[in-house]
Amino acid sequence: MKSLKNHLSFIIPLFILLFSIQFATMIDRGVKEYETHLAGEYTIVAVSSIALEQKILKEKIPAIKSISEIQKDKYIEKLKSDISKADLVYLRANLPKFYTIKLTSLPDKESLKKISQELKKINGVSKIETFKKTFNKFHQFLQMSKTASIFFTIFIFVISFMLIVKQIEIWTLEHKKRMYIMGLFGAPFWMKSASLYKSVVIDALISAMLVAIVFLLLPNFADLASIKRELGVNMSNFNFFTDLTKLVFIALFISIISVTTVILKQKNS
Amino acid sequence: MSNNIIQAQNLVLSYKKNEPIIKDTNLTVKNKDFVFLTGKSGSGKSTFLKSLYGELNVEDGDLNVCGFDLKNASRTKLNLLRKHTGVIFQDYKLIDEWNVEKNVMLPLMIAGYSKQVCKMQAHKLLKHVKLSHKIEKMPLELSGGEQQRVAMARALAHNPTLIIADEPTGNLDDYSSEVIWNLLKSVRQHIGSTILVATHRIPQTLGIDYKQYFLDEGTIYEVT
Repeated sequence: MKSLKNHLSFIIPLFILLFSIQFATMIDRGVKEYETHLAGEYTIVAVSSIALEQKILKEKIPAIKSISEIQKDKYIEKLKSDISKADLVYLRANLPKFYTIKLTSLPDKESLKKISQELKKINGVSKIETFKKTFNKFHQFLQMSKTASIFFTIFIFVISFMLIVKQIEIWTLEHKKRMYIMGLFGAPFWMKSASLYKSVVIDALISAMLVAIVFLLLPNFADLASIKRELGVNMSNFNFFTDLTKLVFIALFISIISVTTVILKQKNS
Repeated sequence: MSNNIIQAQNLVLSYKKNEPIIKDTNLTVKNKDFVFLTGKSGSGKSTFLKSLYGELNVEDGDLNVCGFDLKNASRTKLNLLRKHTGVIFQDYKLIDEWNVEKNVMLPLMIAGYSKQVCKMQAHKLLKHVKLSHKIEKMPLELSGGEQQRVAMARALAHNPTLIIADEPTGNLDDYSSEVIWNLLKSVRQHIGSTILVATHRIPQTLGIDYKQYFLDEGTIYEVT
């Protein structure tokens, strides 16, 4: 019973720590995908007196994914009944060309300003509409989500790490007499500490597996699924192999570093 | 290794700087000697023994044990030395979470023997100390005398060159004391280990040749 309690006292903070890291990763991944989704929908409109070539534009501004001309014929057709044929011909010849420009990714405020300035420098371009107001609202919201998740992760990480170190200190005190006696008979450091390392490695693996299970089950919750549908994005799910490998590596790293630090600290005190 | 198992020259030991417990002491213990170190309580017997297995650093002078120079000895060197020594402590120093068998197996596990060899040797020694029937017991389930016999078996498990015993019978009844002394005699006879025992009372009926040293006011004198 005492042993189970001891293990849970280590597994729970490590689970929370790994959960917060994975949560931040998923948020970051989701935000990135949402940005890509927004970038797909986001369009800059350029007005130019001469035809713009996609190739030249892409060379000057690599952030541009594609440009396409807005067909103005159907709008001119609507004026057929109101103006004379000659005026229509004149209008068709002198009306500037309108282009929609798509970008490779969602730019930040500064990049957008730069892109706009570069476009204005192009010969013939007379006006650029970036829909800055709407765009900024979206972008600020995404950045805020990212920052909040990073702060949340750091906060949880610090608290959990302190709990983990405390638990290892308790373990080390419990094992102190045994380690001392083993030392009196010439046991090397690794042998004296083997049982502690074994415990933390097992607990680290359990914690990583538990976090993986939670994140595998999470997308099945109805609320989350409906949020994803409403946002219209296909947020990445937990990647069992890469994410689990990363979690196991982090869990082992944190556990082994904490145990070694605590043992060496006690040894030198 | 020379014929001298312990060689102390102008040895100074202390827990606090400039407050020596052992002052400028010389002592030589030869291979296969059976030596008693006597002295009043608090005279520094345990302090001297601690220096022999490297638990206390040499402050000044020289100390050589089993061929290892203990002045500024590294941790690795001390670990090697401890594989050549078997220590019996007054307070037994058994690992409470391990059963009797595993406690006795400890020095053999450290020496790298297979589990099977460790078990066989532990069983043999526990038979010698008349504790075969308590092999699965935990130390806290044993009496003081039984715990000391387990500690004795553990100290002998790896056939050490030097056995250091700190008041091994200090807290024991007559029966356990007799078992301990008989075993120490037998070890010296059959294995040929050098034995150094710190005690305030030498048994009357030991029946073997031994040397006696007396520790007083930080200096060790030979009693002739």
